[in-house]
Amino acid sequence: MKSRLKPDHRALAESLRMRTLEGPGETEPALRKAVAACAAGEDGPGDATGQSPYYALARQIGEAAFRTTDAQVAEVVEATGSEKGGFEIILTAAVGAGLVRWQCGLRAVEGATDASA
Amino acid sequence: MRLPEVERGDSFGSRLLIRLISTVSGMRLPDAARVAFYHKKFGGELSSWTQAAMRGSSSWTIGERELMAAMVARWNSCNFCIGAHRAIAMKQLPDATVEATLKDYRAAPIGSGLQATLVFLEKLTLHPRELTSEDAQAVFQAGVSRDALTDAVAVASIFNMITRYADALDFAIPSTQEFDRAGDMLLKRGYASR
Repeated sequence: MKSRLKPDHRALAESLRMRTLEGPGETEPALRKAVAACAAGEDGPGDATGQSPYYALARQIGEAAFRTTDAQVAEVVEATGSEKGGFEIILTAAVGAGLVRWQCGLRAVEGATDASA
Repeated sequence: MRLPEVERGDSFGSRLLIRLISTVSGMRLPDAARVAFYHKKFGGELSSWTQAAMRGSSSWTIGERELMAAMVARWNSCNFCIGAHRAIAMKQLPDATVEATLKDYRAAPIGSGLQATLVFLEKLTLHPRELTSEDAQAVFQAGVSRDALTDAVAVASIFNMITRYADALDFAIPSTQEFDRAGDMLLKRGYASR
């Protein structure tokens, strides 16, 4: 697969954000936005209590995904009513954690002076 | 794999494709590929960005970008992604360089630009909100351009997503030989599944 054009990372990141957080799916966009924010380490609805299985899983994925348990995933699949819904929550949490890194990294790069430019 | 539907495929076409590729390659199709075939309308944008960042034009070689992916996986303790991207990096860079970098990138025989970039990417992965323009400045001073650092930030951000869903879904870990063969496929076909 050839792909040698210079990527427009900003546009690609925005397309990913729009599709994952605002596009159609088995789960509601409002829920996905809250899950992404929670995985990114931001306060969100339910964040303070951590009682919702969505936010418990999102926080786990954001902080230490390798410690995710079968029970955490099973609870979210049950709450969404389908494996596709559970998949959307997992992917959205991962995207939320990645996009906050993209934004922090980009901000640092854009704020610095490139002597070679 | 914690979602059986991802493992077996969610349509007749994807189930057939999973079986066909597994048969032709002589190995179980890795879970990363099964995810790419699942619920395609939802996850397609991530595949597109991954393909662009890992195989699109960049001043970083494919081997260097795969090494960055393996390092993000190491910082996030994602064994599947360490194995997968270590194997691909080793097809593009000397084995000893890849192993030394994964062991201690600050002491590895890599260029000062790549080393400075990895310092930035480690902070981006572990403490993203603490990144400052001074951190970027230090990378520029090592001879890395703004475009190149932006490319590296994209690679690291994407693998901060992939490592997380790989672990949340509990990807099965292939053998060393299977990682090696899967690496050949990823070099030949890339990351775009759609």
